[in-house]
Amino acid sequence: MTAPDSVLAGLDFDATARHRGGANLEAHNVSAWFGSNKVLERVNLTMPARTVTALIGPSGCGKSTFLRILNRMHESVPSAKLGGEVWLNGDDIYAPGKRITETRRRIGMVFQKPNPFPAMSIADNVTAGLKLTGMRVSRSARADLIERCLTRGGLWNEVKDRLHAPGSALSGGQQQRLCIARSLAVDPEILLMDEPCSALDPTSTRRVEETIAELAPDVTIVIVTHNMQQANRVSQQCAFFLAAQGTPGGIVESGSTAQIFGNPRDPRTADYVNGRFG
Amino acid sequence: MTSLIDESRPDDTKEFARAEDQDRPRTIAAGLPPSDHVFRAIVRAIGVSVLVLTGSIGLFLGYQAIPTFKRYGFSFLTESQWQPQLDKVGISAVLLGTVIVALIALLIGFPLAFVTALYISEYAPARWKSVAISMIDLMAAVPSIIYGLFGFAFLEPHAQDLARWLHQNLGFIPIFKVDTDPNAASWSPAAYFGSAFIGGICVSLMIIPLACSVMRGVFSLAPIGEREAAYALGSTRWGMVRAVVLPFGRGGIIGGTMLGLGRALGETVAVMLVISQTFEIKFTILSSGTNTTSALIASRFSEATSAQLAALLTAGFVLFLLTLGVNTVAAVFVSRSRSGAGVEI
Repeated sequence: MTAPDSVLAGLDFDATARHRGGANLEAHNVSAWFGSNKVLERVNLTMPARTVTALIGPSGCGKSTFLRILNRMHESVPSAKLGGEVWLNGDDIYAPGKRITETRRRIGMVFQKPNPFPAMSIADNVTAGLKLTGMRVSRSARADLIERCLTRGGLWNEVKDRLHAPGSALSGGQQQRLCIARSLAVDPEILLMDEPCSALDPTSTRRVEETIAELAPDVTIVIVTHNMQQANRVSQQCAFFLAAQGTPGGIVESGSTAQIFGNPRDPRTADYVNGRFG
Repeated sequence: MTSLIDESRPDDTKEFARAEDQDRPRTIAAGLPPSDHVFRAIVRAIGVSVLVLTGSIGLFLGYQAIPTFKRYGFSFLTESQWQPQLDKVGISAVLLGTVIVALIALLIGFPLAFVTALYISEYAPARWKSVAISMIDLMAAVPSIIYGLFGFAFLEPHAQDLARWLHQNLGFIPIFKVDTDPNAASWSPAAYFGSAFIGGICVSLMIIPLACSVMRGVFSLAPIGEREAAYALGSTRWGMVRAVVLPFGRGGIIGGTMLGLGRALGETVAVMLVISQTFEIKFTILSSGTNTTSALIASRFSEATSAQLAALLTAGFVLFLLTLGVNTVAAVFVSRSRSGAGVEI
């Protein structure tokens, strides 16, 4: 594992110092609607730096919607609306004048289905974000960055001999790690992961979980997962979402992972983490 | 297991030989129900008949072309005049005119179709989007005679001004040369009347909706997962379009353009109305007079004797081969691209 600071050595943007050790993300009274249908009600959650936060709960309870609100992907759906505030290191990312592209660059996202750019090589996929956000790097810094991001994504050893092969030629698990490497290349302070392992086999899942553990000291991670064991393994903090029939979703209980799994306060949380429903 | 069978059926060696041979692909019967057989037969017959139809058009034209090729030989392709009474018949001028008019139409139509498709699929607000789509579809449904009338009555006079302006400012480029003084106080519009340039503008109006709707269709199919991947990296919309939509839509861009080119090559009525027919080999696109293969056929068809008709059919055969070639090249490009499956050409 490369030391985190050297990941950015040679890059000429000054994000390095700003967020050494990740950033704090806080959601205040976040509500969400699709059209007139309210899907999320007054969610409050603090996602501190150097912590992996797992969002758990049955399907349709608003976890993914909440995650997409955290980096302003929610508003790309035409009928989507939202209320409340999301603070990144104390600044509301929805405040007027905040640039959406900058927010998304600082808060990266890994999706459920691996989505590398198929027309690009593995190397180009890693640096795609630099090109898309208009960051320039020298050729040697670029090679460095590719190696370091792929190493942090846990993919370097498997692809170092074929960096110019198309990204779509990789297996599903490798594609997902390529996507993680790609999101790391633009140096995000937060990394949101929406069920990143649900399409992967157990071996690839383990590799991604190792990657999460290695990233946690530098990047704040928020992960949505349906897998209780995974939530237990990778996170230090857990939030349990639930939507009763016909009502918007919300957080039932949040706290340290040990507490949520070992000693849940709410009986519904106990039922869910012990697999009695959901 | 083997020993068990050995004991019960000791002399059945044949069975074993068969079992050992079985490590190779078996022949499997589909086992379709009769209704599927009937349906497949009907669909196959209709599908094949389309191929037969296209093939027989080509064969018919080719067969009709034989006497003309025998009589004129290679000079049918090099002769520029079409004067059957003098026994001078050739298609070099009209073929060149066809290609030039089509290229001008493409040069004007492609950027407009491309940008319009991109705007509709990526930038237009939802409500305006459906209006714009139906406008484009309406544009495709307008009969070409209407474009011809519009071109003759409206475009022609305005295009003459534009042609003169091009002549004044870019006249030093050989293709923009016209045999008249562009700066004369009383300039004659006739020098620019019915040029390839004007024909091309008119045809471009017809290929824009075709090319645009193919491109738009393909752009809108660009996978949402890749779009979101680009946005989640902090991309601008234009960055996303460049990284995701355009690489994905490559097949549609080429396919739509080639489809437009195919139409431009064959477009008849509108071209006939706006151009003034000449039979000379010329590359000056602004000067009066041009011709296309289909305009030639349409204008000479009614007064043709049987020998002249055969010559016109031969010209048609050459046009058929030209469009076949264009579409084949397009199909090769399109089938190699990712979005190719969604494109019809």
